Amino acid sequence: MTDLIRILIAPLVWLAAFSAVYGLHGLICGHAIGGIAFGLPLPRVLMVAAYALAILAQLALLAALYQPRFASPSGFVRFVSLATGGVGLVATVWSMFPVVMTTYCT
Amino acid sequence: MKALERHRKLTEIWASEPGFRGWFSTVSHTDLGRMFLVTAFFFFFVGGLLAMLIRVQLATPHSAFAGPDIYNQIFTMHGTIMMFLFAIPAFEGLAIYLLPKILGTRDLAFPRLTAYGYWCYVFGGTVMLISMLFGIAPDGGWFMYPPLTGAIYSPGINTDFWLIGITFVEISAIAAAVEITVSILKYRAPGMSLDKMPIFAWYALVTALMILTGFPPLILGSILLEVERAFGFPFFQADLGGDSLLWQHLFWLFGHPEVYIIFLPAAGVISTVLPVMCRTTLLGYGWIVAATVALAFLSFGLWVHHMFATGIPHMGLAFFSAASTLVAVPTGVQIFAWIGTMWKGRPELRLPMLHLLGFFFTFVIGGLTGVMVAVVPFDWQAHDTAFITAHLHYVLFGGFVFPIFAGLYYWMPHVTGRRRFFHLGELAFALVFLGFHVTFLAMHWVGLLGQRRRISTYSPEDGWTAINLISSVGSFVLAIGIAMILIDVILHALTASRGKRNPWHAGTLEWAMITPPPAYNFASLPHVSSREPLADDPDLPVRLAKGQGYLGTPRHGWRETLTVEIATGKPDMHVIYPANTRLPILMSAVTGVFFLSLLLKFYWTVPLAVIGVAILAWRWVWGLGRTDDLDAQALGHDITVPHAAMTDRSPGWWGSLFLLTANATFFGSLLFGFAFLWTIAPGWPPPAWFMASVPELALGLAGTVLGPVAMRAAIRTNRRGGNPVAGLALVLAGAIALALAFIFLLARTPPPTEHAYGATLFVLGSYGLFHAALATLMTAFLVARVRRGFTSALRQAEFSIVSLWVDYLSVIGALVLLAAHLPDLLG
Repeated sequence: MTDLIRILIAPLVWLAAFSAVYGLHGLICGHAIGGIAFGLPLPRVLMVAAYALAILAQLALLAALYQPRFASPSGFVRFVSLATGGVGLVATVWSMFPVVMTTYCT
Repeated sequence: MKALERHRKLTEIWASEPGFRGWFSTVSHTDLGRMFLVTAFFFFFVGGLLAMLIRVQLATPHSAFAGPDIYNQIFTMHGTIMMFLFAIPAFEGLAIYLLPKILGTRDLAFPRLTAYGYWCYVFGGTVMLISMLFGIAPDGGWFMYPPLTGAIYSPGINTDFWLIGITFVEISAIAAAVEITVSILKYRAPGMSLDKMPIFAWYALVTALMILTGFPPLILGSILLEVERAFGFPFFQADLGGDSLLWQHLFWLFGHPEVYIIFLPAAGVISTVLPVMCRTTLLGYGWIVAATVALAFLSFGLWVHHMFATGIPHMGLAFFSAASTLVAVPTGVQIFAWIGTMWKGRPELRLPMLHLLGFFFTFVIGGLTGVMVAVVPFDWQAHDTAFITAHLHYVLFGGFVFPIFAGLYYWMPHVTGRRRFFHLGELAFALVFLGFHVTFLAMHWVGLLGQRRRISTYSPEDGWTAINLISSVGSFVLAIGIAMILIDVILHALTASRGKRNPWHAGTLEWAMITPPPAYNFASLPHVSSREPLADDPDLPVRLAKGQGYLGTPRHGWRETLTVEIATGKPDMHVIYPANTRLPILMSAVTGVFFLSLLLKFYWTVPLAVIGVAILAWRWVWGLGRTDDLDAQALGHDITVPHAAMTDRSPGWWGSLFLLTANATFFGSLLFGFAFLWTIAPGWPPPAWFMASVPELALGLAGTVLGPVAMRAAIRTNRRGGNPVAGLALVLAGAIALALAFIFLLARTPPPTEHAYGATLFVLGSYGLFHAALATLMTAFLVARVRRGFTSALRQAEFSIVSLWVDYLSVIGALVLLAAHLPDLLG
């Protein structure tokens, strides 16, 4: 079961982060959350922070999957888990990139 | 023991009842797999006939073939049958038939569950067909959007047939998914570690996990819409705090992964058949596994791309547009791996290969138009036009039907033990291929010219007449091709001569048995040391027949097999299966009474059906287990393992774990719906909030703590040889405390018909109460088992299973109570 978790964890975290960021976006627009933080609109700051957090989580996961302490003893599982770890990272960077690019509530 | 004697003894133990009666009592995966496939293809032909009716209607402008009301039923039932009654059950049938054979074992994890799922499918599908015969079939489109399908705009029973019939059928999908998941993870030949699993098993595993997490949102949506229609709870009514977009979210949370749930098993067939047809091995096995997992996850992040035209903000559109384009990458990895496999090998243009080439050509076009509609501005232009219909048929026909036909011709000699004699199949393939592309290329074209989906007629002035006629002619060519495949298969099954075993010279284990397969699959179980054991050891079938594998000596009349550790494939448990029984068909019939009662609004029979299911479930589980401690069982080759009842992680525990995974997804979707309505829906805040009560909350939370703690104490006591009944009594007390907290919640919830807030809270409370009742029943069952001697210090498996459900009750109980009480407590 641990080997399966190694394979599934990074995409699972991507899915959770993606849903959370979409939920945060809904919350911001649904409740018309506004304001300024660090000289920038608060909604943008919140979403970029969530985006950065999601990327950091993926980087940490990928680093952990490279560590002998967390990596699988099976070469095959190690390979697949690193590949899906890469998928998690790329999916996070790409699918949530709109938080720095587009308008948020229009 | 000689091979023939072993064969006779094993057949005596494993065979189904002879003749017609055997259909109703069989629990054999071979029988049930074939029954699933035959039934699924029956529905395929019904869905195909409906497609012909659609094309007749659209062949000419101002057609009077069918009026709009009947036409609505025809296209709704075409989509519904193809998606729910053909594609998914065809996967289930293939997986049920094939997995134990390809994994080197004797049956699936829960044979009676396989039978129960099959009968639920048959009964649910029959209900849908009956509605069509009476002219009261669903007519709201296969995705049933409210408010069109709400009680105001669809007051008849048509929509209820869909909501209740499909939910009934979904039981079958969930049952099969649990079955397939546990079977792949645990029921494999010794030595078959994860890296040695046949690639089809990886696809089936990923697909089953997707069903477990993809179907619950649809089941939830169907329940909510039916409750809205039957009792007036306004989940989807904007004026009462609901939102019709909630349905779209729930539906497409299921609906998009559904596309991949359909495609991935077909990709599994391709990855299995293609290397054999090319006389080589699969290129990039590890990459394909990774790409499959990636595809599965990414498919859950695309659901909003079906909702680009609903007016959601740009950023939301951009999220899902980005994710939609990303999904092309793992798909491309698989396509290139297959092309590489062909490049590496020496392809032979035999009939399965023709269908695989048909897949490549068709699916790649469907994938490219998929990338086009992932781009928002294009989607806005093409949305709800025939272009989308054409796109989805390229993906689904290309991505599922062609590979399934390849699989059909590939495994048909296995099912029948015969070799093809008539060669209608090649001509049939040509007609199917040409007919399909003429039909749907034309449909792309007419869609770009502006023809809407689901319209029953059009004018000559629209300029679509010639294209529609071409499309209709193509569809009839396609239908003739499919009819020829049917004739070819029937001729093969009835008249072809005996064939040799392994006609394709494949390397996987399903060909290491006599064909048609015996009821027990393998006379003794193989030890696996590569992905293609048969290619490495051509004498394997003979050695297995001689009993030189594991469990080669029939004993005590047991239907026995073994399980393995998930990662390493090392044997870890001995399992004895139940024998033939009519319990599954009886239980699915009583389950059907429950659904029919809801459909026909005979509400007084609903509790009777629920009690009936509970009694049968009790009877079902009571028949398992033992009243004596079994010694460790010898498997052969000096390996002994404990019997499953002597372990913490028995098959029942694994089954419960994955069933609870689906259940948790259902609950998560419900919480998502609550949050969505609260955040997005108009008409909030509600006229009245739930008034928190500290004593009620404390009672419930005490129950959430007491149950798991007492259960662990009972397990410890049992392990020490003591009497665990006192601990179990405390578990019961915890479940009852939670049940009371839920009853108070339901009694004091603001009127659920007045606002979506009260309605959602009512559903949350009911969900909690149902699970408290379930945990109470399971704990009472365990007490009865303890008292009747079914447990001992060594026989502990049942404690672990009940413990899982008690823990789950605690988690969801705490969340439900907090969701209800916390807002008021926090002011």
